[in-house]
Amino acid sequence: MHVLVSKLKEVLFAVLPITFIVLLLNFTLTPLDGILLIRFIIGALIIIIGLSIFLFGVDIGITPIGQMMGKSIAKSNKLWIVLIAGLLLGFIISIAEPDLHILAGQVDLVTSGLISKESIVIVVSIGIGALIAIGLARIVYNVPLYKLLAILYFIIFALAIFTSPEFLAISFDASGATTGALTVPFILALALGVSAMKKDSKQSEMDSFGLVAIASTGAIIAVMIMNIVYQTDKMTGSLDMHHDFSKSIFGPFLHELPKISGEIIIALLPIIILFLVFQKVSFKMSSKAVRKIAFGLLFTFMGLVLFLVGVNAGFMEVGIAIGQSIASLDSKAYVIIVAFVLGLVTVMAEPAVHVLTHQIEDVTSGYVKRNVVMFSLCIGVGLAVALSVIRILVPGLQLWHYLLPGYAISLALMYFVPKLFVGIAFDSGGVASGPMTATFILAFVQGAAEAIDGANVLIDGFGMIAMVALTPLIALQVLGLIFQLKSKSTLKKGGVEKDAQSF
Amino acid sequence: MPNHSNHVGFELVCVIVDFGIGSKVLHTAKKHGISGGTVLLGKGTIKNRLLEFFAIDDIRKEIVLMVTNKETAKEALVQLDQKFKFSKPNHGIAFTTDVGHIVGSSSCSSDEIIESRGGDIMYHAITVIVEKGNAEFVIDAANEAGSKGGTIINARGSGIHETSKLFSMEIEPEKEIVLILSEKDKTEGIVNSIKNKLKIDEPGNGIIFVQNVNQTVGLYK
Repeated sequence: MHVLVSKLKEVLFAVLPITFIVLLLNFTLTPLDGILLIRFIIGALIIIIGLSIFLFGVDIGITPIGQMMGKSIAKSNKLWIVLIAGLLLGFIISIAEPDLHILAGQVDLVTSGLISKESIVIVVSIGIGALIAIGLARIVYNVPLYKLLAILYFIIFALAIFTSPEFLAISFDASGATTGALTVPFILALALGVSAMKKDSKQSEMDSFGLVAIASTGAIIAVMIMNIVYQTDKMTGSLDMHHDFSKSIFGPFLHELPKISGEIIIALLPIIILFLVFQKVSFKMSSKAVRKIAFGLLFTFMGLVLFLVGVNAGFMEVGIAIGQSIASLDSKAYVIIVAFVLGLVTVMAEPAVHVLTHQIEDVTSGYVKRNVVMFSLCIGVGLAVALSVIRILVPGLQLWHYLLPGYAISLALMYFVPKLFVGIAFDSGGVASGPMTATFILAFVQGAAEAIDGANVLIDGFGMIAMVALTPLIALQVLGLIFQLKSKSTLKKGGVEKDAQSF
Repeated sequence: MPNHSNHVGFELVCVIVDFGIGSKVLHTAKKHGISGGTVLLGKGTIKNRLLEFFAIDDIRKEIVLMVTNKETAKEALVQLDQKFKFSKPNHGIAFTTDVGHIVGSSSCSSDEIIESRGGDIMYHAITVIVEKGNAEFVIDAANEAGSKGGTIINARGSGIHETSKLFSMEIEPEKEIVLILSEKDKTEGIVNSIKNKLKIDEPGNGIIFVQNVNQTVGLYK
């Protein structure tokens, strides 16, 4: 039973902080409606159970599938197989991603149907597929990650000049939205499967990361190109923010359950079909191993459904309510501080973050501890949410005022930090902006925007996920710098002696 | 120069604990005279019907390897046992094996290879190296012959004919190392069972070797 207890402990430490902060706010600054509060607590309980089951499922289901696929693709030793397999895998996985459909629906709405939902889903999926193909080719041809990222972000900057400011926010949001709770573990495992075969273990360690980062640039580039082609520089429609709080306690949970189950089945289906095809053609695993993976997929499904039901039915309305009432307080300092703290605790409960931090620990044999990574991520995301709220408060401040220097700093840092951390940092950008942020924090920011005079819920609401995807790049690369400085100073102190003693 | 007639003798101390405790073990060991060590990540197995049914019977482990002289090893093992309570179930295990020769450790240097001593040996450490994915079958085969479990370590390596190149990357086949402790009289049965199940006799299917264990803590009959 020890495994279950330790996993539950990990998840408790992840979910309790946010629960505690919300309860604290309830008793101090923002008293919440009784029904909302009860639903929030039920939601938190469901999230704890769901996240635990989900993490087991990823461990024995999604990760092994991804790793084996990566391996068999690389073993083909033919470039066209790598490219076509990458394109196909990326395309079908992202087309099934529920977050992408939500984002595409919003874009459809705000452009009054000029850019249809279907077209954006397909174009973004092609973008992600193409970039995953390039990312896999990079690993097998040993092209350094930082060089590829420099080229990709140069393209993004060039395109950004021609993109309208509103769409700038949407395109950077797309990068976060498409790397959801299912896609991230799968893409991470795919990269690990290919790079784990490398003889050079330092190289193998570095190349285990970076594929998520490359994939998410695909989404940014795709949306920007769409905007330039269609020349939609105005947002005409409006997002209807109707939230008539349901008065029943269990109603929202029961309402969300079938909807989310359907979405997750669709999202898992391509992975299952791909697995069956690969199993027939190349894996040929024993029935015991297949049984294990089947259980893994079942756990992934159950866990993720529970998690999302908890977040959507229990957390979302609380986020809006807190945002609204805190932003209407006289002192604006409160809303900034609360934004920082909420960002800090929310990212801890993000499913993909747990998958990434465990993978980091495994790949580096425990050299980079997961708590350290988690801590840096928390600070990064906390700052991101606080900065987003400041942007709503200060009318003149635009998103690119943050994005341009932010990306300039993170691209410059690439050349100084250990290359392992470049991959980890850019991957964690896509990882941090998962379902928890996209619902709870987004709801909080939109709630705040509604209560602040002169703020536009639509324009200010977009761009928050872009910030959450940006700050970890800097936070984790700074962590890399600290690691570098530390290992240098211990080497100077007594490198030879130390080497001799650690046999 | 040390007196050569007075053989000190060295031992490899191997401690297997739950993930996250490895560094603490190393820290405690250093306090009691051991000069350093290496921590590896491994996977352990647990016996529990329910967990096996749900296929979540893997658990992450850390393996700490440390080399030191016999006296220090004995003392350190006692201290480690006191601190980490290996003698209680599920608190990890520790054992020591003889080391013939050691180079590169300033605190324990030796000029000549020391023959392993005889004496009453109760346990054997069986090490099996196989292709990745086969470790599970090794554990199964060992359990059939009466073993109580084992630890799996991911590794890479290859025989003389195996290294190859895919695209621009040189690759090395992935391996798994399985570490099993067995009572002396069961060793042969376990080794035979693994040998037959995985056809270790045929080339390219892996290797098995057995070492004598001097001291153990945390093992149960």
